Amino acid sequence: MIRSGVARLILMRLAIAIPLLLIISFGIFSLVHLAPGDPVRALLGTRPSDPETLANLRERYHLNDPFIVQYGKWLGQVLQGDLGRSINGNRLVLSSIKERAGVTVYLCLVSTVIVLTAGILLGMLAAFKRGGRLDRFVVMFGVFGISSPAFVTGIFLLYVFGVVLGWFPTFGAGRGFLDRFWHLTLPSLALALSIMAIVVKITRASMIEVMDRDYVAFARARGMSAMRITLAYILRNALIPVVTAGGLIVIGFLANAIYVEVTFALPGLGSLIVDAVQKRDIPLIQGTTLVFALFVVIINLVVDVIYTLIDPRIRFGAVQS
Amino acid sequence: MMAAPLLTVRNLAISAGGRAITTGTNLDIARGETIAIVGESGSGKSLTAKAIGRLLPPGVSARGSIVYNGIELMTLPKREMRQMRGRRLSLMLQDPFTMLNPLMKSGLHVAEMLRDRSEFRDRAALKAEVARRLGEVGITDPDVAERMPFQLSGGMSQRVAMAAALARDPELLIADEPSTALDVTTQAEIIKLLKRVQQARGMSLVLITHNLRLAFSTCDRIYVLYAGSLLEVGSARAVEEDPFHPYTLGLLLSEPPADKRVPKLIAIRGKVPRADEVAGRCVFADRCDWAEDECRAATPALAETSAGRFTACIRRRQIAAEMRALRGAALEADSALASLEPSISPIVRAANVVKNFAGRRGRVVQALKGVSIEVRPGESVGLVGESGSGKTTLGRTLVGLETPTSGGIEIAGIDASNFAVMNAADRAETRRTIQMVFQDPYSTLNPRHSVRTSLREAIRTSGRFSDQQVDARIAELLREVGLPESYAERRPASLSGGERQRVAIARSLSVNPKVLVCDEPVSALDVSVQAQILNLFKRLQQELGLSYLFITHDLAVVRQVAERIYVLYLGEIVEQGPAEEVIGRPQHPYTKRLIDSIPR
Amino acid sequence: MSLHLDSAKPEGAPRATMSVAMVLAFVVVAIVVICAFFGASIAPDSPFTQRLDIGDVPPSAQFLAGTDLLGRDVLSRVIHGAWTALVGPVVVAAGAFSIATVLGLLSGYLGGMVDSVIMRWVDFMLALPTPLVAIVVVGVVGGGYWTAVFVLVILFTAPDTRIVRSAVLEQRPRPYIDAARALGISKTRILFIHILPNVLPIILAYVVLDFAFALVNLAGLSFLGLGVEPGTPDWGRLLFENRTILFTNPVALLLPAGSVILTAVSMNLIGDWLFARLTR
Repeated sequence: MIRSGVARLILMRLAIAIPLLLIISFGIFSLVHLAPGDPVRALLGTRPSDPETLANLRERYHLNDPFIVQYGKWLGQVLQGDLGRSINGNRLVLSSIKERAGVTVYLCLVSTVIVLTAGILLGMLAAFKRGGRLDRFVVMFGVFGISSPAFVTGIFLLYVFGVVLGWFPTFGAGRGFLDRFWHLTLPSLALALSIMAIVVKITRASMIEVMDRDYVAFARARGMSAMRITLAYILRNALIPVVTAGGLIVIGFLANAIYVEVTFALPGLGSLIVDAVQKRDIPLIQGTTLVFALFVVIINLVVDVIYTLIDPRIRFGAVQS
Repeated sequence: MMAAPLLTVRNLAISAGGRAITTGTNLDIARGETIAIVGESGSGKSLTAKAIGRLLPPGVSARGSIVYNGIELMTLPKREMRQMRGRRLSLMLQDPFTMLNPLMKSGLHVAEMLRDRSEFRDRAALKAEVARRLGEVGITDPDVAERMPFQLSGGMSQRVAMAAALARDPELLIADEPSTALDVTTQAEIIKLLKRVQQARGMSLVLITHNLRLAFSTCDRIYVLYAGSLLEVGSARAVEEDPFHPYTLGLLLSEPPADKRVPKLIAIRGKVPRADEVAGRCVFADRCDWAEDECRAATPALAETSAGRFTACIRRRQIAAEMRALRGAALEADSALASLEPSISPIVRAANVVKNFAGRRGRVVQALKGVSIEVRPGESVGLVGESGSGKTTLGRTLVGLETPTSGGIEIAGIDASNFAVMNAADRAETRRTIQMVFQDPYSTLNPRHSVRTSLREAIRTSGRFSDQQVDARIAELLREVGLPESYAERRPASLSGGERQRVAIARSLSVNPKVLVCDEPVSALDVSVQAQILNLFKRLQQELGLSYLFITHDLAVVRQVAERIYVLYLGEIVEQGPAEEVIGRPQHPYTKRLIDSIPR
Repeated sequence: MSLHLDSAKPEGAPRATMSVAMVLAFVVVAIVVICAFFGASIAPDSPFTQRLDIGDVPPSAQFLAGTDLLGRDVLSRVIHGAWTALVGPVVVAAGAFSIATVLGLLSGYLGGMVDSVIMRWVDFMLALPTPLVAIVVVGVVGGGYWTAVFVLVILFTAPDTRIVRSAVLEQRPRPYIDAARALGISKTRILFIHILPNVLPIILAYVVLDFAFALVNLAGLSFLGLGVEPGTPDWGRLLFENRTILFTNPVALLLPAGSVILTAVSMNLIGDWLFARLTR
């Protein structure tokens, strides 16, 4: 019975996610028309604007068809895996994405590990030693972290560790596993520090709130061991808001990954999108944005499902906490 | 019969942030004995309970000596103290809904206490033992152990918590207000269960409560705590027969009797202070009718008048006779009820009111299943029920805050079944006829508005007063509810619960209504303040000729205010009639259960 | 590791005076405001004067923060940058919350269809990653600083609406609202005279927090070359322009970066402080 409840919730979330993706894709598609001037010119790029090229472009991008039809054809192509070609260089958008995805994924993974372990640990420690020096330091760290976007943190890290100390390279992604690791240390750190601050803040606040709850006091009154209380009573309850904030955290990752890649000149998806935007390469923008949006929606879906699994109150349809 | 005490507390003083919360408390508990620590809000009784278990929240600290079976607890290393908890002494908190871990199955709360014992290593043995423990607290359904706390009712949660608290067979159980958050009928069951379990185990029990009658009927000895100081100690019987301290007497007299109606409850004037506000003198002096200068000169000590009998009133001998006389008069007083002509047409008439709410997952919740009541002009009618009875819903439909799904409501002759479709003039007229007083004094007033602003707004809606007359009317209303005119400039944050409720009553009176719907208006107030407000209601009825629909779960309260009673159970009226009839000679089994639940 | 579960560590009585950090926060904000309005008088030099012959040099007596690639005085550019660091975020925070307050009040109090429609829109907007949308839209549409501000106002409105709605929902079931309804007070009056004053404190605290977040977002956009016009003295823009001179004049990067952090931190601290004080 529990399994079907969870399955139903997953289906419900999917039912929301798919129309959401459609609307987003529609918005992405209409970007072409957001750009000032004739869409044809936007798609032209640096090619010569003679009537023949223009007519070809119109034909290829179905610009003579009604808007909805254009969207339909574009969507059809996308679903078949054809994300078009970039204007500059005429490369398949999909290939550019595949090429760059590795760096971004690597960056995000390493940062996620740092954030989840160090962030939650620090939040826990600060909550346990509430009011003490460690706590005050952690709170300050939290405030600074939230206020420092990754490009700012990146610049400071770059300066201290890259220029002054010279321990790490200042740009590029390196070749080979260890070289890549060395190159991506500073960026991962920069990325992690900004996001970690949010996780620390939420973990700490949540832990403090749970520690003051009656059920923790009652567990102590019954003589339960500190270990048991910490794990089964405090942590399990305190981590729920952290998971709930998972969506927020994912968004933070995305934005900051873009900044970090630009700061450290990493050939990842983030810098690809920035390049595309700067060069007004519409198909490239559309393709990469779509992939990003897909990531966001999927990860939010996963977070939602995890949240549903760990809080039985949701499963049984009880009042939201 | 003085057995060696199990727990001896000496000079326990609790403070927070430099401010005193309790001063020098002494307690003695023998094996198998039941004691009650009785006090109102701010007395420090809950913190005293927590201090004994060394479970004070951060920021609160305690001094003094707590000796348990010869062991001094205050200096015990933390690890050893943890061993004591659960095994030797155990503590149950107030709110059954928040005592259990929301992410842990109920049964696990008991199982986790037993898992370290070798005989329960085996899963099946553990499960059987958990079932046995739950059975001890009256839970026989094996499903309950598998349920999550949010799936349990208040009574069930309380039982599970009790089973968990007792799982390691402590010799002493401290129960903090074990029934306050529950329905009246459930309360009585839980208290009975507690006593039964205590006797079967030969356990000592400390009951923390604000209900004197409950303390008298269940405990051997009473400790009366007020504003952080012990004022009276003695055996339950002795204190009940002859209270030595004016506060104890006042508390006893403030609690409305269920068996008779008195013309005026003996209320203690003023409000309950914080411990640090009344330091250096008798903590009760400000509210005491017998206070003299000597009472205010210094803090009176708790003196032993005879074996085991203590009082902190230094004027005891002088005022004893007066106190006894007052007690006698209050116990005997009875008022003749004016009989109401049945032919007068009712000012409020509800006919077959049905109210359905949309529940979770499309289920329909029937709050009211066809309820018919009447209130005649000048009459005071009680609507008695527990949570889930629909009593609040009915009250709200009468003032237009809810719309009945079907059925008719007539107020002063106007059809008020659906406020939304009434014409504006009728609606305004109805709103001037019937108003409501709400339960929670702490959110019944807009926290950002001064008293004057709130009252002025209410007066303006009546449309009967010009701007110049408004200020005079505000002063008049405040006087009417017993508040000084200067209170008009105050904000709710600076008022006590009782004072806020008075302002709320003034607000509802500002449109000169003929009927007041009072939804549990005194349940959230301290006992000593409850009586004041009940007296206010009675006085207003006489002076202004008001009619009341008095909604409450407390039969004793309704006895004092209402001439006729309706008993509501799960959305239906199960019994109705004159107050003495319904309470004295109940017919319906539910009414009988309600009456049996009143602690005698 | 002792976990201090048993400890009665004193929380400390509520302090009447502000901590050192809070005072510093207010000082920083004051400095930023002064620079924003009186930058021209304070700055030692014009932020636009180019000295191509000198190029980028490290700090010296003449140029306290050195010069950038085009020989412009970095310190003056940073001081003038306070303007875009102040005005845009203020407009975003105030603008987003003004709209959000109206939407949140209506959504929270009226419920029903109004609430459903508004919340559906909010949920949709929240699913979009704000910085990504900002980058793409501002990049494609072109436009400058004020386009970015406008886009952020729209993007911030959604989460702000949710905050206001929550605060309204907290007040709605309270008896003082019931009492007002029973007295026949109009919905408009209830919304603006009863509910609004009680949710305003929380809104204020969040407005300040929004400012910090908007600053970070705007700086981020200019850091990517979007938003402000080239040549404008804007902290984010400075980071964009001066990345290449990290080795010759690092101060040209560190100073604007530090300014962004300090301002955002100060506003975050003030916002947290307001939140703690107003929700007591």
